[in-house]
Amino acid sequence: MNAFRAWIEERLGLGAVTGFLERKEVPRHGHSFLYYTGSSILLFLGIQIATGVLLAFYYRPTLAEANASVARIATEIPLGWLVRSVHSWSATLMIAMVLVHLLGISFTKAYRKPREATWLTGILLLGVSLAFGFTGYLLPWDELSLAATKVGTDLPRAMPIVGTWLTRLMRAGDDVTGDTLSRFFIAHVSVLPLAILALLGAHLFLVQRHGMSVPLAEEKKGVKGPVLPFWPNFAYREAGVWLILLGTLLTMAVVFAPGLGSQADLMAPAPEGIKPEWYFLFMFQTLKLFPAKVLGLDGELVAVLVMAVGMGLFALLPFIDTRPAERKGRIITALVWAGLAYALGMSIWSLL
Amino acid sequence: MNGRRRMASVLTAAVLLSILLAGAFEARAQEAAKTQAGTTSVAAPKGESAPPPRPPKERMAVAVLLAWVWVSIAVLIGILRLRVREADRVFRLGLRETGHKGFGGSGE
Repeated sequence: MNAFRAWIEERLGLGAVTGFLERKEVPRHGHSFLYYTGSSILLFLGIQIATGVLLAFYYRPTLAEANASVARIATEIPLGWLVRSVHSWSATLMIAMVLVHLLGISFTKAYRKPREATWLTGILLLGVSLAFGFTGYLLPWDELSLAATKVGTDLPRAMPIVGTWLTRLMRAGDDVTGDTLSRFFIAHVSVLPLAILALLGAHLFLVQRHGMSVPLAEEKKGVKGPVLPFWPNFAYREAGVWLILLGTLLTMAVVFAPGLGSQADLMAPAPEGIKPEWYFLFMFQTLKLFPAKVLGLDGELVAVLVMAVGMGLFALLPFIDTRPAERKGRIITALVWAGLAYALGMSIWSLL
Repeated sequence: MNGRRRMASVLTAAVLLSILLAGAFEARAQEAAKTQAGTTSVAAPKGESAPPPRPPKERMAVAVLLAWVWVSIAVLIGILRLRVREADRVFRLGLRETGHKGFGGSGE
């Protein structure tokens, strides 16, 4: 065994990595649970990749075969329904975990100097995760997914100058067609995975470069707060969290397996009760509430602009809140709480 | 002793929960089969997303698998808990060969 280890070490030089993990320390305080959210995202991403590869063996991204191939996965392929359900639920849990991770960082002000770039890569990772969800929603090619994609890809059209171009770029034409399905499939299995891996690499590098952030309240307690070695103390705890998440994911996937509607018909009118995925519900409801005209301007344009400005401000938080690390930043905390309450309220309203 | 008791209670709870889940799942599957048999001629409304039928052979197997998964998770968490306590004890006694540097990295 030692000879095998030496053989590996001589060729790969993994000693540097294991040495780094042994030296790495994790701050220990009342908010330590937030550190588990980052690794949980990695767990769900790994599951997404593994189940996505399995689904891609049988999925056919053509107008005639897409819906039938998903039906075949769900009914004929051994455990196909389970793989599809795990893929769907792990996507949901991954996005939920990304949101919890970002909210935790914004509440603890961990985005402040010198972690601005870490925050920006995190925001981009959220964007890519949402794009995964959006492109994946169309792939079953059923009536609801077609109608929701039509609405979703029509949104940017309201934006001035680039709006029409963006809609055409997403749809691969003026309307949602088989070309849109191909484009979404390629984005889902090729472009977005490459983007997420590149961004994740940059994000992890920056996290290691600057170390794990410590909440202000904990930092004030002493110059040298208690720490926990990453290996093995923190890694064992993390493994426990992963196990519970895996069990939860599998249970949800078995009990609440996603359905499949009838094949989409490009000429059919939109069915009733179109709703996007839960993470887009607040935008959907906001658009519904805006009047057709606001101060003489197109209501949809105003709604899109207001939401774009809000999201832009959230993305640029480290450059807006540039105060020293020791300042509490109560206004930012209140604004983030308000934004969260708005998004939750609108989402619940949309579901009612 | 307390730790053992706690672990035993966690394991028992996990086993009971998994049995309950397996039972609930099986009941749901049977209920779905009954409903299907009774209303085969009623078509689902357009646009409604109905869950796809599952191969009957897999239903019970998956329920049992789920129960086993939770039992295994409970056992593994019990083992991990012991390993965590041991690792924390070694660290507290200073038997680990790494420097205690305090919070953060270069950015602190």
